[in-house]
Amino acid sequence: MNEQLHTKNKKDIGSLIVASFFIFVAVMTFYDTTQYSDLDSKVFPRACAIVLLIFSVLTIVWEFTKPSSSEGFGNGYWWRRIVLVVTMLIACVAMPYITFLPAGMIAFAGGLIAAMHDRWSRRTLLLYWGSGLVIIIAFYAIFHYVLHVPLP
Amino acid sequence: MDASNFLNALTPFNMMLALFGVVAGTVIGSIPGLTATMAVAVLVPITFSMEPASALILLGAIYTGAIYGGAYAAILLNTPGTPSAIATTFDGYPMAKRGDGDLAVAIACFASVAGGLVGALGLLFLAPPLSKVALAFGPVEYFWLSIFGLSLIASLSQGNLLKGLVGGAFGLILSTVGIAEISADVRLTFGSQTMIAGFEVVGALIGLYCIPVLINLAAVPDRHLKVESEVGSLRILEAAKVTLKSKFNLIRSSVIGTVVGILPGAGGSVAGLVAYSEAKRTARPEQRFGEGEPDGIIATEASNNATVGGGFIPTLVLGIPGTPPDAVILGALLIQGVRTGPTLFEGGGSIVYTFIYGLIIATVLMLPTGLLIGRYAYKTIITIPKAVLVPTVGFMTIIGTFAIRNSISDVIIMICLGVFGWLISRFGFAASPIVLGLILGPIAEQGFVQSWIIGSATDNLWGMFFGRPISLVIVAFTILSLTYPLIVKRRMQNKKSPTDLKAE
Repeated sequence: MNEQLHTKNKKDIGSLIVASFFIFVAVMTFYDTTQYSDLDSKVFPRACAIVLLIFSVLTIVWEFTKPSSSEGFGNGYWWRRIVLVVTMLIACVAMPYITFLPAGMIAFAGGLIAAMHDRWSRRTLLLYWGSGLVIIIAFYAIFHYVLHVPLP
Repeated sequence: MDASNFLNALTPFNMMLALFGVVAGTVIGSIPGLTATMAVAVLVPITFSMEPASALILLGAIYTGAIYGGAYAAILLNTPGTPSAIATTFDGYPMAKRGDGDLAVAIACFASVAGGLVGALGLLFLAPPLSKVALAFGPVEYFWLSIFGLSLIASLSQGNLLKGLVGGAFGLILSTVGIAEISADVRLTFGSQTMIAGFEVVGALIGLYCIPVLINLAAVPDRHLKVESEVGSLRILEAAKVTLKSKFNLIRSSVIGTVVGILPGAGGSVAGLVAYSEAKRTARPEQRFGEGEPDGIIATEASNNATVGGGFIPTLVLGIPGTPPDAVILGALLIQGVRTGPTLFEGGGSIVYTFIYGLIIATVLMLPTGLLIGRYAYKTIITIPKAVLVPTVGFMTIIGTFAIRNSISDVIIMICLGVFGWLISRFGFAASPIVLGLILGPIAEQGFVQSWIIGSATDNLWGMFFGRPISLVIVAFTILSLTYPLIVKRRMQNKKSPTDLKAE
């Protein structure tokens, strides 16, 4: 029971933080519109900022009066989520320096490590890494040579 | 329009082109990041040495195949392969998750073929009169049409309208980042050179829909999709029955797709959203849109494929491209020396009618090829180990997003938006309203500002926004779309109450 209450409180705080962030976005948008030279550029983003501000404030009021029951972060391993996202970002940042193929391999390796929940065996090691290599090279060939995308 | 044109379309060469176009388009469209426009643009050069009618058949087939191909990733990975398939994710992915992915893929194929045929028949029989619709739509009608699309937020908010509206407004703000189209002011970049070009919509879509799925998949050991039984066929008969049962939805969505396709700049994503909204508005009480309702897939897929034929109407009759791929096709036609415009149907009637018959044949060919490719796509997704699926899809999101503007910044923004979308989704802020705002924002803003300028100049601002018949019809549909679920709910409660009272 205590655990449930604790989880619910955590969820409410999450919604409040997100709504507060959107208030910040609305204020920043409104501030930015003060610097435009033309009225035509201001009208739409300013209207959207006002709408965002109103509904974000209402969301906060609503969360205080009638807390919603959102899922929270749920189950699952945090390190896997982080490895997946961080390796994708590292691959993108490194791409101009190490070229596309090695960067693609970094992204693939990160995803593979993050999503592999079974025990590694010699067979899965060879099969998964091998198929990764084939997939990366195949996509590289299609995009570079067929679609003429200038991959770094 | 005579039999010789039909026979011209039936030559083995044209049939082969139609088949190749559908297959190539379907495969390209199924890869997140590769849009129908890109599919057509990439394959345009091979049409330069062909007869104009054959070139048109190939390009039309690629286009229609790519629009359908977008459904695979939408259903099986929750990532719209093309922006036209956004609304396919709403019910397609929930169906796949509960073990009905094979059924969903087959339904998408039937609906796409039916929608494509309605659009092509509209092009065949009603092109000159329907092209007038494009001219009847001014900026204010576009503005109201986008607002009608935004009214879908009410149904995409997963039980929390306020959070949905917050997401929608945030999406609209994101759509304004970069250089303003009308006055060229630099907006919301905060000094960053990277943001001057604004958010790339397809990249943002991939991020908001696909990255959260990957994050969730990597975190837990559960299977990607539930599979009820051994993988055999695509439950084709069952899908045909479900599609036929929703024939009214099918026809209505196809007509919506054809009409929206005619409107320059609107395209398959708007058509899909409008048709979905209408299907949801007229749903039976037991239907659960957003939770795996086949009618949602039927509405979206029928309408987005109908935009193919619809989009060719202004392209061929007025020389105004209805959708972005039409603009590429129009360019290809100009290179070939074909002059589009009102006289094309008279002077170049043979080319046009051969092409239209070719498009119909390509759409029919999409049924067997689509089901076959769909079967393999489904089999691949459910049999591939999750440890390989996650990095493969992750890698595809990177290369697909990069390919759109050859920009690494777009890829980084895509990943960051995805993480942001995942974080806020955990607290009830769904990604779909943000996507709606992002897609409809530019149409809404341009329509609003142009109407504002015209209204102010003519000293008739209210009349501009509320005095035009088409606008009023769209406004009425928007109000109906927002209030109809409440009216139905109230009516149901009123019906229920006497028996409930008796029971008590």
